[in-house]
Amino acid sequence: MTAAASALVIGLTAGCGSGGSSAGASGGGAGVIHVLVYGDAGNTVEKQLVDTFNKTSKVKAVLDTIPGADYQTKLQTVITTSQAPDVFFNWGGGSIAPFVKAGLLLPLDDMIAKDPGLKANFLPSVFNTAVIDGKSYGVPMRGTQPVLLFDNKKTLADAGLTPPATWDDLLADVHALKAKGVTPIALGGGDQWPTLMWFEYAYDRVAGPGLFQKALGGDATAWASPESRKALGMLKQLIDAGAFGSNYDSVKYTDGGSPALLAKGKAAFELMGSWEYSTQQSNDPDFAKNGLGYSAFPTVTGGAGDPNDVVGNTNNFYSVLKTTKHPDAVAQFLKLMYSDEFVKAQLGIGNLPTTTNTPQFLSGSADPAYSQYQYNLVKQAPSFQLSWDQAYPPSAITPIHQAVQEFFDGKLDTDGFVKAMQALPTS
Amino acid sequence: MTSISAAPAPAPAPPAPAAAAGRRRARGGAGVTRPGLAWAAPATAFFALFAIVPLVLVAVLSFTTWNGIGSPQPAGLANWTALWHDPVMIKSLWLSALLTTLGVVVQTPISLLLGVWAAGHQRNRAILSAIYFVPLLLSATAVSVLWRALLDPNFGIPAQASWLFGDGNLLGSQAGSIGVLAFVGAWQWTPLHTLIYQGGARAVPQVLYQAAAIDGAGRVRQFFHITLPQLRNTIITSMVLMVVGGLTTFDTVLILTQGGPGTDTTISAYYMYQQGFKSFDFGGASAVALVLVVVATVISLAVVRLSGYDRMRSTVEGL
Repeated sequence: MTAAASALVIGLTAGCGSGGSSAGASGGGAGVIHVLVYGDAGNTVEKQLVDTFNKTSKVKAVLDTIPGADYQTKLQTVITTSQAPDVFFNWGGGSIAPFVKAGLLLPLDDMIAKDPGLKANFLPSVFNTAVIDGKSYGVPMRGTQPVLLFDNKKTLADAGLTPPATWDDLLADVHALKAKGVTPIALGGGDQWPTLMWFEYAYDRVAGPGLFQKALGGDATAWASPESRKALGMLKQLIDAGAFGSNYDSVKYTDGGSPALLAKGKAAFELMGSWEYSTQQSNDPDFAKNGLGYSAFPTVTGGAGDPNDVVGNTNNFYSVLKTTKHPDAVAQFLKLMYSDEFVKAQLGIGNLPTTTNTPQFLSGSADPAYSQYQYNLVKQAPSFQLSWDQAYPPSAITPIHQAVQEFFDGKLDTDGFVKAMQALPTS
Repeated sequence: MTSISAAPAPAPAPPAPAAAAGRRRARGGAGVTRPGLAWAAPATAFFALFAIVPLVLVAVLSFTTWNGIGSPQPAGLANWTALWHDPVMIKSLWLSALLTTLGVVVQTPISLLLGVWAAGHQRNRAILSAIYFVPLLLSATAVSVLWRALLDPNFGIPAQASWLFGDGNLLGSQAGSIGVLAFVGAWQWTPLHTLIYQGGARAVPQVLYQAAAIDGAGRVRQFFHITLPQLRNTIITSMVLMVVGGLTTFDTVLILTQGGPGTDTTISAYYMYQQGFKSFDFGGASAVALVLVVVATVISLAVVRLSGYDRMRSTVEGL
């Protein structure tokens, strides 16, 4: 922590220094804007865009990266200090809600009024994730990550099955696969968030996105509604049918446990974010290319949710701090997020941007058919539900994960789960 | 920890260097000199800066609500009353106690026997000991990642030995996950304690064994009547280290179980991290931290007091 924090401080100071000298060179009071991003492989594109921006702008952009999963923690510690960035990477929804509440962020509506493209050039279901209390606080960057039902084509074919269209099909598949001695569904329960994905889709298909929005808005009665109980009952039925085997809580996605189950044909399905493809591609390229199937989550007969709804990580966003001295330069920088250059660069590293001009460039991606499928899925989705653990404020993440895991393990019954969710902090 | 490092300091005062003795006559008189306060100043300043000041800040924070944004807001006793009614806090203390006890009970006999064995001087022992100390060189994080992979129920050890592990759901049950944490802890830390015991056993005067051998005592009797009593202080040192280490265990839990399944391995140190850095409730986390400080201090003091370690009775007396 300390080392990383001081590295950050050094980085920011160094940034200021170079910014100052370039301002002097251009000879007229121009400053710098600091862009803070999550430090990982995606930074190559962000560096490229900053270079492009700096070629024409008087105000220079400086890219600061924070390595590792502690991004949110470190952001939280600098955001109220004088070292706060002008623009920063986030996950939209609950991840920026505390900052909005504290009055730290700049609503982007004025910028959008001047340049409607900042809104119109993005898919609405994605753009809306960073809308809080009717105001826009983020512009999409990087790629979208919808959750899909992946399958092992060969395992399914061997059992004479096809991807399930309805929940009843899924239950029938589970029974057929169990009879063949295959674990029907791979689940990395040790990570907890893969388990949560099952709840997100079951609730959406049964009740539509409204129930969760109501609960997130502070109306705890939503969790006790008949639809909520129906969704829980369906999940219980699936668990009791042995769909996930018995040792899923000892399996993790993050260390390759559950993806290996799918790739080796020990399991037939895995519900996972679209990054499953790149995971399989690095672990088992041949399987990713020839054996990995994908389909939308099954529909529920009589359910209120639209079968085209998706859940997952809608995208990452750039948000702007109120304290920025150069809002016009920031607006110019954000413009790049719907440029052709941005789309091509993101597709080049396997991300799927959510701009309206993305389809023109899909043929240049790693697997054009897969990218096209995902893009259409997100484009057609009437609702794109942000993962619950990111839609709620950070203080709710642990209780959500615990409740989800305990329900799957049978330690919480329906009433217990409802009670746990009703106790979540919503602000 | 402080109690250990503080205790030996005022112990049998070594004969002071002549120059110091000349300048500074002890108030105790009779030619006995005591180290001046000035000599302790650097250590005291360090201790104040890195232990006392943060502790006071944590105490202050525990009476506030603070999510890391802006300045902490006074909250009175809210965090403490919430903690008092928090079932996870109570459970976490029990779990910490359980894991610590398991650590002491499992590691002490093994490291004691291995340490005494390794105190011999034959060449093969030295080589074996060197290999055996390897886990000590690995970081707890690396050790946890390694075991996490080895314990995968479908592709790891449990899959190869299903007659022993059943479905391999070790980390999905409370008994299994606590067993894994105790095992991984022992795997990593037994070498350290073996090293401590080895040093202790080598310091036992050989004349005692020679005398016992003349009196006809066998190896078992020698162990119980000479080695074990002679190692008394070593045992206490090792156990205090185990208790403090056990109460502050964190990294293995973070990587192996994340406090799960549910809250079944949410020990206090992990709970503190969870409150602070996952839930951004630094006030609540500070309250947990203070409870942990108090409990650990009380237990350390109790171990030192009950064992007679604080009286510093020499094990070589009577020689």
